[in-house]
Amino acid sequence: MLNRVVHLLPLELKAVLEKLPETALAQLEEIRIREGRPLELGLRGQSRFAGTDGTLRMAADGAYKPTGDICRKLLERITNYSLYAMEEELKRGFITVAGGHRIGLAGRTVLDSGSVRGIRDIGAFNIRIAREVIGSANHLLPKLLDRSRKSIHSTLILAPPQQGKTTLVRDLARSISYGLWGQGEGAGWQGRKVGVVDERSEIAACVRGIPTFDIGPRTDVMDACPKAEGIMMLLRSMSPEVIVADEIGRDEDGEAIREASHAGVSVIATAHAYDVQDALGRPVLRRLLEDGSFQQIVELRRTTSGFMHRIISAESAVRSPAAREPTAALTAAATSTFRRSGADPAPVESGLQRGGAT
Amino acid sequence: MIKLLGAVLILFAGTLIGFQQAARFAARPRQLRQLAHALQRLETEIGYGHTPLPEALGRIATVVPSPIADLFLLAAEGVAHDDGLSFRESWEQAMRQGWEATAMRAGEQAVMLRLGSALGISDKDDQLKHLKLALLQLKAEEDAAKEDQGRYEKMWKSLGVLIAVLVVILMV
Repeated sequence: MLNRVVHLLPLELKAVLEKLPETALAQLEEIRIREGRPLELGLRGQSRFAGTDGTLRMAADGAYKPTGDICRKLLERITNYSLYAMEEELKRGFITVAGGHRIGLAGRTVLDSGSVRGIRDIGAFNIRIAREVIGSANHLLPKLLDRSRKSIHSTLILAPPQQGKTTLVRDLARSISYGLWGQGEGAGWQGRKVGVVDERSEIAACVRGIPTFDIGPRTDVMDACPKAEGIMMLLRSMSPEVIVADEIGRDEDGEAIREASHAGVSVIATAHAYDVQDALGRPVLRRLLEDGSFQQIVELRRTTSGFMHRIISAESAVRSPAAREPTAALTAAATSTFRRSGADPAPVESGLQRGGAT
Repeated sequence: MIKLLGAVLILFAGTLIGFQQAARFAARPRQLRQLAHALQRLETEIGYGHTPLPEALGRIATVVPSPIADLFLLAAEGVAHDDGLSFRESWEQAMRQGWEATAMRAGEQAVMLRLGSALGISDKDDQLKHLKLALLQLKAEEDAAKEDQGRYEKMWKSLGVLIAVLVVILMV
């Protein structure tokens, strides 16, 4: 994992990280660098501090502390020595570098009549290492097929952060674009034209407009474009059959998705939510589910053995009284959704998928 | 016969030395002008293109002639190699290494070094201000260089020949 981002790190920092054991480096997900404070590493969801001698510590004392000089060099490297070219990114608080790795920044913000214009005196970095897991959607895709259109249903993927949403939609886009619908009834179907609106440059990880991840031969990417505008632009110009967008949530995103979905285009989108009940508590998502812009909902969980996913039809989620009740205990709501699967033709499916996880 | 050959050789050498010195005076304002053009180009790349610095320097190197282009190429290469240089260090190294091949002097070198310590580390407006300042200072140097050229270029050209003639006369 480390070799993907090592070119971004100043030499001193690189030396410290390279001393760590191989097994730890293979699990590396986040590198958190704070000026003058211990170097923290995220390993499969666990937090450790790195010592100068290559040890991983539970406690912060004795850990390696990056100096201000190292932080400045790191900032130079991740901005490609050009802070002036990163004004939009600094406004949003993160930079996406080649390879799709997202680097979150924190520091003192610069305000311009009340709104954030940028960050200066950046003192904390969070390097999130992007992973391309080819085949991570293999188990899921055959369950989302739309037989009548020989395509995919409009699907909303829900999960909290760090559960693999982006990895999953990237692989969905790739499979649909190649026409890899899996064994079964979709086996001989053609690939579909896919439009990706990649606001954070994480799905395709474009470098100067060219995707660096494999997202399929029939895929067009609108890079670093606001989702709502990007969806409308793709609809008008690139005639997509499937549109993929990451982390929807604003009102205008909802409008654009409604527009696309009712124009006969399948929309695959992700959103931050723990589960369906959570999603229904967010007005934008609730409206989209109620007016049928999405036919399927996928809840995603990452466990130690792989990705867990559960598919719920949007219609039943909205109809279900348990789902309408935001105060219902999460476990109760979840079991009730499961129980309904016996009575209903098949609104709920669940599967544990192995092999796709790293 | 040998005396004559010697005299011709001395005359030839003297003339050459004179012309070479004169050429240095002619080259300095020309190179200063080219350097100013390069910085103006950088201003455009930063202000309108938002081009990342190493790429912008590479582009500039393709449009300005040789000794000036090498300065920018060296600076861009310094950060491309993985030896942990910061941009300022790479820039300084390039200005010191490449400077000897140019006809420019310490005054304009100081201007460039000052510029290097500001490039790339602030927002667009600030970058443009630093570039404007450097351009103004280079302009002043160019004016001085032009004055020197008017004063010393012709003098060196004739001085070389005349000294050679003097040496020949003394020898004969």
